[in-house]
Amino acid sequence: MKMTPLVLILGGLIVIAPVLLMNVITPWVTGLDEPPSDIFRTRTPIEEQGRDIYVNNGCTYCHTQYIRDFDWDIGSQRISKAGDYIAEIPHLLGTERTGPDLSQEGGEHPDDWHMAHFVNPRFVRPDSVMPSWEFLGKERLLALIAYKQSLGFKQADGRVERQKYWKAEAIGAFEAGPDKNVEWLHGHVPEPWTKLPDPYMTSVPGLERGHRVYQSFCIGCHGPIGDGMGPAQPFLYPPPLNFTILQNRGISGGILYYQIMNGITGTAMPYFKKDLESEKIWDVGNYIAVTFIGESDAGQPTRGIAVSYEPVEGPK
Amino acid sequence: MQLLKVEENGTAKLFFLSSAFWFVLGTLEGIIDATDMVIPDLFGGIPWLVFSRVRPMHTTTMIFGFVGSALLGASIYIIPAVSRTPLWNERVGKVSLWIWNISIAVGLITLDLGYSQGREYAEWIWPADIGILLAFGLIFLNCIQTAVRRNEKVMYVSSWYILAGLVYTWIIYFFGNAVWNPSKGAIYGLPDGILAWFYGHGVVGLFLTPLAVAISYYIVPRVARSPLYSHTLSLVGFWSILVIYTHIGTHHILQTPVPTWLKVLAISGSIAMIIPVMTVLVNLWLTMRGRLGLFHQDIGGKFVMAGLVWYILTCIQGPVQALPIVQRMTHLNNWVIAHSHMGVFGFSGTIALGGLYYILPRITGRPIYSTRLADVQYWLLLLGMAGFFGVLTAGGLVQGNSWLNGETVYRTLPMIHVYFSLRAAFGVLFVGAAFIGLYNVIRSIAGEPRQREIQTEKATGQTQ
Ligand code: HEC
Ligand code: HEC
Ligand code: HEM
Repeated sequence: MKMTPLVLILGGLIVIAPVLLMNVITPWVTGLDEPPSDIFRTRTPIEEQGRDIYVNNGCTYCHTQYIRDFDWDIGSQRISKAGDYIAEIPHLLGTERTGPDLSQEGGEHPDDWHMAHFVNPRFVRPDSVMPSWEFLGKERLLALIAYKQSLGFKQADGRVERQKYWKAEAIGAFEAGPDKNVEWLHGHVPEPWTKLPDPYMTSVPGLERGHRVYQSFCIGCHGPIGDGMGPAQPFLYPPPLNFTILQNRGISGGILYYQIMNGITGTAMPYFKKDLESEKIWDVGNYIAVTFIGESDAGQPTRGIAVSYEPVEGPK
Repeated sequence: MQLLKVEENGTAKLFFLSSAFWFVLGTLEGIIDATDMVIPDLFGGIPWLVFSRVRPMHTTTMIFGFVGSALLGASIYIIPAVSRTPLWNERVGKVSLWIWNISIAVGLITLDLGYSQGREYAEWIWPADIGILLAFGLIFLNCIQTAVRRNEKVMYVSSWYILAGLVYTWIIYFFGNAVWNPSKGAIYGLPDGILAWFYGHGVVGLFLTPLAVAISYYIVPRVARSPLYSHTLSLVGFWSILVIYTHIGTHHILQTPVPTWLKVLAISGSIAMIIPVMTVLVNLWLTMRGRLGLFHQDIGGKFVMAGLVWYILTCIQGPVQALPIVQRMTHLNNWVIAHSHMGVFGFSGTIALGGLYYILPRITGRPIYSTRLADVQYWLLLLGMAGFFGVLTAGGLVQGNSWLNGETVYRTLPMIHVYFSLRAAFGVLFVGAAFIGLYNVIRSIAGEPRQREIQTEKATGQTQ
């Protein structure tokens, strides 16, 4: 085959014509009549403004916006569908998950959590590598938060409504004073948990582990001495709980476990059931109980058959 | 006008200089990003140093500024050389050079100020896109006019790759940046993801790859002092890359709900990529068989040789990680970042540097300022690249494994901290190498060569 400029250019064009047809034109045209998915809705102007900020600042290099069928992290309650994307311009699918997927972020947290997080992610997530966005200024951060809360569309709207409902309740309880607040908090913990003592023994290694978990997950809000005065405190309302007020107010290992596992929707207190497995939750709960509240029910006699690794005491 | 001065091979020379400059900038951006991931609050509150504004600057500086400029410089030298005729128009060449560099600068500065179109390697705002298209157009015009006026009966393989690469890049850049939509530079919905990755993949596969292959085809037979092994293999390699590489962009978004038939096309095409890759490599290897010693003596040849080794590694890894079962583990984490550095830097970047060191002395008419420094640069880059690849792959496997087994992303951050730290450390080698390169290129163009080195080079016959 003799190559001449003509052969090259013509041949090249003949090759690329079907390529464009197949890889650009066909998906484009067929994609145009993709019906909206069950959750889809259009975005409001402020949500669009927030999306522009997201695009311009490159959040997409660390965050994807699609959920796969083998994901575990936030958003994994729903696998993404093609109809979720019909209004996306540009697409924000992303190629890296340095941070978690955000396609269902709406309603995961209340607005005050987001504000603290955007000002400095390490205030609420001590191990985070996400940049601080304080320089964007309050107005643009509010737009960004509006966009975050819209991710997940109609499903997100439901979650956001729920956050707002419980936020009003939590503020009411907080403003009624510690007694009422604790009563309110524990009033929503289901019965078997309230009475459940921590079934494991308090041990030095266990407290050490609890301390480690506390430093990676809790310290930014509840503070190094558990008084609720961590760096995120000025942004959050109701503020993070001061653990010392739980003294003599009927706290149990089960309540701590339940609250840490499920979080307190409406307040900044997130759920940790995705981040922490069972033993870590017991450990951090008991660390709080022993160190800050000074009242631990760990290892009481009602505890049943001991775990095989625990030290042998007496006949059991 | 001094900036547009007409001199023989002046355009190619300045493209090489630009490349060396962008390389320094690109590595500095890289090290800023690497540091951000280790100590996120180090540059706290400085908007133009924030990770995610610098990251697209880093990728586009490297792809277009560093590797792109050197590849274009080499192309503008090679086309006339294999056509045995001077470049059609040096003034047009200089104009394209300045449009090119100014467009890159505009793209980078606006990114830093927080103006981005958000799609990978297509982030630059519309005016920069138009500039780049214009520059590509002018360079193509120059090359085709030169090729048409050739005094050599056959068109050498290198010029096929260069001309086709330029045409394809133009088309892909035009569509990929959706230049008919200046404000967004995108289209709606999932088709935008498909389009963006048709483009993103085209940038590495139809811009960087063909031009780097063109340089290899030019330099390998010359350094080996032996004719090219096979014309047929050249033909197969050339046409098959055009047919196959253009179809596989969707392998970047296999786990999204894009149409299944596109995924099938992308996966099978990715596997078929073995054909164009292996034909080129076999052709070049058989050309250099028994003559490896010559490549150790020629600094340009040495870089090209190393680049070809990275090429085969990249293209073994590529088809494997296009398989859905593999992507469950490797997609979305630093495994892919290791691959992209091996492709863009290890393969095309190293060959671009080979082109620079081989061609620059032939333009200036005297040896490069210091082969010793170029050698130091070679080893720093080789070490840096190998370390980078190892560290990022390891970190990526940790992430991929953890996620697959139920860890949250937040939980994996402390696990990969050590890999991020090591990555930053290896990055320092790149920064050092880039500064050495810039110094060497400037002295080679402007200054007189060092006396002692000329003698040793004469003795080893380095500057034929
Ligand atoms: C350097 C990578 C990086 C960049 C850039 C980045 N993030 Fe993050 N992001 C993370 C990491 C890591 C986490 C997980 C830890 C945390 O919550 O801070 C995260 C978490 C988040 C979360 C909380 C998710 C949850 O519910 O736990 C939101 C919301 C978020 N990012 C939004 C953004 C927005 C908006 C931007 C752009 C303005 C952005 N991120 C830029 C890395 C990044
Ligand atoms: C983003 C801030 C934040 C973080 C991080 C956080 N908390 Fe909280 N926490 C709160 C807030 C706010 C409340 C509720 C205060 C209220 O309603 O008065 C709360 C309440 C609680 C309660 C409820 C106590 C009760 O008696 O009902 C427990 C237990 C608790 N946090 C433990 C933890 C642990 C353990 C961690 C770390 C694993 C943690 N928190 C992390 C903000 C936070
Ligand atoms: C046979 C050839 C190749 C194949 C089949 C291939 C395949 C792939 C695949 C499947 C991915 C996506 C990985 C993922 O996201 O999970 C990828 C990413 C990438 N490849 Fe290749 N590759 C090849 C060669 C190259 C070469 C030669 C280069 C550079 C010149 C290159 C540069 C890149 C880059 C930069 C990315 C990262 C894109 C991103 O996510 O940002 N590849 N490749």
